[in-house]
Amino acid sequence: MLRHEVVVVGAGLAGQRAALAAVEAGRDVAIVTKLHPLRSHSGAAQGGINAAIGPNDSIDAHAYDTVKGSDYLGDQDAIEYFCREAGPTVIEMEHFGTIFTRADDGTLAQRPFGGAGFPRTVYAADRTGLALLQGLWERLGSERFTLYEEWELARIVVRDGRAQGIVALNRRTGELQGVQAKAVIIATGGAGRIYGRTTNAHSCTGDGMAAAYRAGAYLKDMEFVQFHPTALLEGGILVTEGARGEGGILKNAKGERFMSKYAPNVLELASRDVVARAITTEILEGRGFTGPYGPYVHLELMHLGRERIESRLQEICDLCRSFAGMDPVTSPIPISPAQHYMMGGVGTNIPGATNVPGLYAAGEAACVSIHGANRLGGNSLMETLVFGKSAGIAASDYVVKSPNTSLTQGDLDAVTSTFRAWFERKDGEDPSALRTELQQTMDQYVNIFRNEADLAEGLRRVRAIKERFSRVRVVDQSKVFNLNLSDAIETEHMIDLAEVIIVGGYARTESRGAHFRTDYPKRDDAKWMKHTLAQCTSTGPVLSYSPVGYTRWEPKERVY
Amino acid sequence: MKIAYYPGCLAQESAKELDMATRWVCRTLGIELVEFPNFSCCGSGFIDEANEVLNIAINARNLAIAEKAGLDMLTICSTCQGMLNLAKVRMQDPVVKSRVDAALKPLGIEYKGTVQVKHLLEVLTKDVGLDAVKAKVRRPLHGMKVGAFYGCHLLRPADEMQSESGEEPRSFEDLLTAVGATPVDYRGRVMCCGFPILFVKPPTANTIAGRQILDAKAHGADAMATPCPLCHTSLDAYQNKAAKAVETPLNMPVFHLPQVVALAFGASPEELGLSRHLVRTDAAIAKVQPVARS
Amino acid sequence: MPADVVSVPFDIYRFQPGKDTAPRYQRYTLTLAPHTPVLTGLLQIRSEIDPSLGLRYSCRSAICGSCAMQINSKSRLACETQVGPEVERHGRIVLEPMRNQPVLRDLVVDQSPFWREYQKVEPHLKLDPRRPMPEGKPTPMTPAQVERFKETPRCIACAACYSACPAAEADPGFPGPMALAKLYRFVVDPRDTAHQERLLRIQPNGLWTCLRCHLCTEACPKDVRPSERIRDLKEMAITVQGATELGSKHAYGFKENLKGGGLINEMKLVRATFGLTGMVGQVGQGIRVWRKKPEIMKRPRKIEGLDELDKIYAALDSPPKEDPP
Repeated sequence: MLRHEVVVVGAGLAGQRAALAAVEAGRDVAIVTKLHPLRSHSGAAQGGINAAIGPNDSIDAHAYDTVKGSDYLGDQDAIEYFCREAGPTVIEMEHFGTIFTRADDGTLAQRPFGGAGFPRTVYAADRTGLALLQGLWERLGSERFTLYEEWELARIVVRDGRAQGIVALNRRTGELQGVQAKAVIIATGGAGRIYGRTTNAHSCTGDGMAAAYRAGAYLKDMEFVQFHPTALLEGGILVTEGARGEGGILKNAKGERFMSKYAPNVLELASRDVVARAITTEILEGRGFTGPYGPYVHLELMHLGRERIESRLQEICDLCRSFAGMDPVTSPIPISPAQHYMMGGVGTNIPGATNVPGLYAAGEAACVSIHGANRLGGNSLMETLVFGKSAGIAASDYVVKSPNTSLTQGDLDAVTSTFRAWFERKDGEDPSALRTELQQTMDQYVNIFRNEADLAEGLRRVRAIKERFSRVRVVDQSKVFNLNLSDAIETEHMIDLAEVIIVGGYARTESRGAHFRTDYPKRDDAKWMKHTLAQCTSTGPVLSYSPVGYTRWEPKERVY
Repeated sequence: MKIAYYPGCLAQESAKELDMATRWVCRTLGIELVEFPNFSCCGSGFIDEANEVLNIAINARNLAIAEKAGLDMLTICSTCQGMLNLAKVRMQDPVVKSRVDAALKPLGIEYKGTVQVKHLLEVLTKDVGLDAVKAKVRRPLHGMKVGAFYGCHLLRPADEMQSESGEEPRSFEDLLTAVGATPVDYRGRVMCCGFPILFVKPPTANTIAGRQILDAKAHGADAMATPCPLCHTSLDAYQNKAAKAVETPLNMPVFHLPQVVALAFGASPEELGLSRHLVRTDAAIAKVQPVARS
Repeated sequence: MPADVVSVPFDIYRFQPGKDTAPRYQRYTLTLAPHTPVLTGLLQIRSEIDPSLGLRYSCRSAICGSCAMQINSKSRLACETQVGPEVERHGRIVLEPMRNQPVLRDLVVDQSPFWREYQKVEPHLKLDPRRPMPEGKPTPMTPAQVERFKETPRCIACAACYSACPAAEADPGFPGPMALAKLYRFVVDPRDTAHQERLLRIQPNGLWTCLRCHLCTEACPKDVRPSERIRDLKEMAITVQGATELGSKHAYGFKENLKGGGLINEMKLVRATFGLTGMVGQVGQGIRVWRKKPEIMKRPRKIEGLDELDKIYAALDSPPKEDPP
């Protein structure tokens, strides 16, 4: 049994920042990751990271924009903490070596972004996630910690009311390993691959969220799923909001700049849920383009000129040329919304602690909540670093005060026997096929516009898939790099999360932020100004609710 | 066709046989080679490592010489071709151009950017055309299996060299087919010969050369042919070292590109300086089936 | 077959440790639209035909660097390579694991050699406590200073360049294009305080083994152009430290060689590279070559217009006024 003081699961920005904080606090730290750290999905973030560092900006303005963006479901105390930390955080990242785009006077350049009343999004061309990931990995690389690379999380072990460690599959050898730890930090990102149409990488299967849920942690606000307005039509690859921040405009098939109808003040730079609904409405009402890959609208950049596009939006240029067969310098980009981010996640307080002692979470995998019902672009990259750090510090403090933990052979055997059943089954369900059906179900029934009937049908189907998963079969019996086994592990995680999302969405009879019910199209503060909490039981998720943290900003109607 | 002949240093010195074969081929095809005694060395990629701007200026001067005479340039060395092309590309950068122009202007030299630089391979396959080449073949090289070896600087970087392809060219194989030889397809044909580090890190250079030759051999080549005398040096003159590095006797004849073409046009080995090669070429030539008498 | 799809035969390298004694190629044929990425085909093979196929993949959008492999012998990202042109050119798509890294299974390689070279160049800012970064403020950096990075910040560490590199293949100790391009990134970073030290260390440790064959630049999916950054490192090393290695002596010597002649003087170059005593080691091979090609010992003619060349040298052959930062 391997033993460390702090185990971080996930090696993207949040996981690495948590590990750095714990190492700096003098702890024995291990990172368990199913991808090499530089391959984490943090690297796919494009547009930028928000911080109120400009001379005419203010922390309060950033906080207000975030509160409003959250459709007033965000916890205002957490948001204030977040916005206060943002400036020092971005400066720290620059000192670590991150290469940002600069203004002529040598300061960090900042661009406008959706839902922000001020251009406060610091950026590195349109590869900000990659730049930060490199900067942080370079900084972390000279510290002492243990990296378990290409290990997949199978279980979080909780006993005697606290986390004891994790059980993980070493993908390279096929061996199951127990890693005993006093504190476990979940930083495994989101679960976009629950959906068929998503900007997310294939690796985004919500492993940490699901494992934490099964280990007794509450999942919070899972029904709030963000659909990014602009993803390439074929394949759903992200086209950054930064394209709109640089001046890109949206047009329907009639050549109309339709955002003037939905957000008369800020047009394309309204918050993401507003823009995603606008595009979907245009399409549903027959004003979209049609084609063999589905309906779409146009994102036009041509008027920005070649020089600006190729310097500030270099990656987008490449993406369009490589994956959409067109050049954004000369042609409009065909786009439509796609699943992108999960506002919900493992419920934590500001320092990152969950309801299970010794279990922490940070980044997209967590829900503090600072994004509430809808996240502003540029806040997620900042979230990973601010709350990664606080979780690392909190976990380190906990470790110092806590007695030892223990993993047993029984903890490992439990997982081994599950896998053995999968291997030995003669006739069974194909995990790939189950995953595809799950994705189709979510795409069809749990999308941008929801209603009771759809959600009920979606839930029925997900539960049927869950039942069939109990007969899943892994055909490939090999040990080294068995992706068939990974398919099964990940699909199991995804089914659980899908169920929680739908149950939460079905219960919430209002529209708020990214959760829009056509049968309850209004926000209902009187009944629903509260967070959804989901607890895992043998009969499925059981819901309860918790109040929203309020400090200063009275909920108002949200108009852009 | 009249063209400024840029032979490069080696063809004027230790690879004289390349110059002999080039003249043979051009004479046959009616290509008039205009010589310029003021052309300098292209730097061979080494000057580019030591001082990039100097290298560009040296080659801008070479380009300007041909440009002033109103002629395009013919190269017979992949590396010369690469260096002259590199200068053309770099001179499109206004910052570089202004530095170079500042050095050239006082000398009354102005490079305007109009001259084309073509390797003999391109001239034969595109300007002259393979049909015209075929028409001059007296002795088709049927029976000789030849592995083309392009030389890095002819092909890459593909965008700067404007080559047919950085890793998957076909023109040399097409030329070989046109003169009756059988081209051999093998991975090494677009790889490096090791020359740039031949003196700098011989074991690595020799191993690289040895592996490409072994690869050609494994795919049935009777001989290799190259458009670059630097590659020729590594593959032929230093083949003994390559064989030692890969611990296998190689005995692979290596032709210069125009030698292959000239042989097909009817030239004798003596006229092509084949005796100057370090690896004997007779065995490969013996593979050529005699022309059937009618 | 409808006009918008093509038949795509995949021949895929398979090797499963513990099961296979030797690698084999397995054929799978799909019908796909020509612009379909190879990765999409691979995932379809996994989900519909053979779930035992091993490969790495994640983002499918050329940013995570996971899916690099050999596609018809070219080291490329599978997510960014379309099936149509490959089938048109080669009739099939041969997929093999990357080179220069041991095979773990099928298309999955052990990237340790690649990461080890990366770590060796100390890829992190080296700071000097006597020159601390500004407190509570970002380090000032102008757009011109950011320009100096060129495209090196775009590197996604996919290892396609390392896989394509013939020097890495022949010399396992060679740093490889990615590590050297990463070194360049730190040498031009105004915040790093160890530029000279870095150049000093890399000169004898592989910088001059680079063949400048540009296969890395061809392979790179992000236009980093590592071979051109390595060239920059070479020039910086000579400018800052002088010619201390065989490689830099050769390049510097070649540059000096044209003075007073205009064409390369082979004997003079050998002496400049090896020194008088070092030349002795070249004698054996030298004689062997000389017997067939006596010109190697002769001094070449002087070009006409030599004075022009000399004046160009006088104008441009001096160390740049501006220090590498």
